Amino acid sequence: MYSVELRGAVKRYPGGGAEPVVALDDVDFAVRPGEFVAVVGPSGSGKSTLLNVLGLLDDPTEGQRLLVGTDVTSLSVAERTAARKESIGFVFQDFHLLPTLTAVENVALPTAFDPGDATGRAASLLERFGLGDRLTHEPTELSGGQKQRVAIARSLINEPEVLLADEPTGNLDTETGESILAEFERVKSEGVAVIAVTHDPLVEEYADRVVELTDGVLVGGVPDDSVSDDSGSDESMADDSGSDDSGSDDSGSDDSGSDDSGSDESMADDSGSGTSGSTSIPEAK
Amino acid sequence: MSNHGGQTAGSDRRSGWFRGWRPAISMAARNLRRNRVRTVLAVLGVCIGVLAVAALGIFGNVLALGADDAIGDIGTQVVVTPNADAGVDSLSDADVSAIRRAVGEPAVVPLYSDNALVGNAGEQTFATVYGVEEPSLAFEAADGRLPERHRQGAIVGAGIADDLGVGAGDTLEIAGSQVRVVAVLVETQTFSPVAPDDAVFLPESAFSADGYGQVLVVSESGAAARVAADDIREQVNAREDRVELFELAAIVDEINDFFDLLGTFLLGLGAISLVVAGVSILNVMLMSTVERRQEIGVMRAVGVTRRDVLRVLLAEAGLIGAAGAAVGTLLTVLLVAGLVLSTPAVDAALVLDPTNGYYLLLALGFGVGVGLVSGAYPAWKAANERPVEALRS
Repeated sequence: MYSVELRGAVKRYPGGGAEPVVALDDVDFAVRPGEFVAVVGPSGSGKSTLLNVLGLLDDPTEGQRLLVGTDVTSLSVAERTAARKESIGFVFQDFHLLPTLTAVENVALPTAFDPGDATGRAASLLERFGLGDRLTHEPTELSGGQKQRVAIARSLINEPEVLLADEPTGNLDTETGESILAEFERVKSEGVAVIAVTHDPLVEEYADRVVELTDGVLVGGVPDDSVSDDSGSDESMADDSGSDDSGSDDSGSDDSGSDDSGSDESMADDSGSGTSGSTSIPEAK
Repeated sequence: MSNHGGQTAGSDRRSGWFRGWRPAISMAARNLRRNRVRTVLAVLGVCIGVLAVAALGIFGNVLALGADDAIGDIGTQVVVTPNADAGVDSLSDADVSAIRRAVGEPAVVPLYSDNALVGNAGEQTFATVYGVEEPSLAFEAADGRLPERHRQGAIVGAGIADDLGVGAGDTLEIAGSQVRVVAVLVETQTFSPVAPDDAVFLPESAFSADGYGQVLVVSESGAAARVAADDIREQVNAREDRVELFELAAIVDEINDFFDLLGTFLLGLGAISLVVAGVSILNVMLMSTVERRQEIGVMRAVGVTRRDVLRVLLAEAGLIGAAGAAVGTLLTVLLVAGLVLSTPAVDAALVLDPTNGYYLLLALGFGVGVGLVSGAYPAWKAANERPVEALRS
């Protein structure tokens, strides 16, 4: 089962003229638990729209959206908010921390209005990201890298299935960016699907899979199972062959049924081969 | 993972509404501290509005109370006189009994009346002379004692006693005969058609008339007096209009109506400044939600519900209103206290009347209410903005 999946997703915006703007054009996209996918493409190609649709901030005009196998295509506003809180973490380019809250309060923000105090969980998350001595600092007292770590900790407070990052390294120098990407590696090793929209070649290096979005058309959106099973260690190989194969998938879209069954097998394979990795960590949480 | 989230969202739905206010108020307080000058100005606006409502409300109330005090109990008396138009020249014992039966509870004091020259040691004055049997039902003595049954001697009104310089125990010459003064009445604060200040009260036996000139009906309250008057009209005047009634309750009602109107008018004046304060809160909240559009978008994106965003913003507006109302109320108390201390003419008892506290509470409530009402629209607008729009900078 995929952590998040789009099937034939279309997003049209009413344009100024007669023709609506097509931001996503029949997009098939799926990310497995513990996979780090980078979405690249020129400005205006629909990357932000893809992220918004994946993150339940926006609904697709057509097509289907699934979150951990559950159809979440059309939810009410309240249901979407609840689903975002439960299952999705956001990391933004501008960090978007609330300036009036301390680091630990920012991390606990998604749960601030819930019964129970999440401060302890927030503090331990920050400690994990090496910010144990910055708990009560306000965002203005933190560096860019520290702010982004706080933002990642915030995205993880509710133990999401999916982490969506919009240019996570865009406002950071290379060294800090690399340390943030290393944090993403750790996050994904805990079974969280990480999807980053980026222009940064560094992000592509760290990603398990790079997909390209051009004028709303996505290439290589669904992982090819036979290849990823064989070459789980070699990421670049998987990327190349994956994108090639999915190109042919797009042309023969009637194969999608067999794709699904394939993905189930690969899940079984994954759990079989990497027993220690994929089963022990969720229990530890 | 999802199990954990489901529990958090599902448990304690009912108490969640109250519980959620604590973090909301804490966040709101910090947001208000971000732009102190703007917050202080908005608070000042509410403060002035509350001050205006409370001070003008209390001012109107003190005026009304003062008037009430001055008019006093004229509204509690009904004076019954024979209806000369119907050929009734005086009221008989039967009439008095009929009146007693009609009114029930209130004291009925029949009076003979005449006019006479009253003098003492060379000084003379013209006075109304009443014959009364039970003066203690309608009057109070300042000097001496009012007898249960008036058998002998004269009871002198305060004005006459003052003019002639007599007190209880002195002797007074009334229409040529010497009469001992048994009591001097308390000076009446109010207007009454009987005018006891300028009257002398003798026993009924001093009069040889065969009917009473008037009957005084003394009630506990203005409302009881009105009921008594109505009863007399219905029962004594059932077949023919034997008596005429003079009641001041209606006039007192009109005076009270006037002061109610005046009070409302003054409150309205105050309310205008409170409305201005409300507009300033509206402005502050709109500005602040526009400035914080992205922040609110982030809150919504990370899973904070619309209701909770609304709560934070309403708490901000409510805090401005509450702070302004509290300071405004305090200032009103100080202002009124200063006024009482510096102006001897103002009766402190009137200012300390508990009804003035009602105006303080009213203004306090208005202040908080204005905050919430003017905060409602910006809060609703910001909470309902789609996060995807808000995040787009």
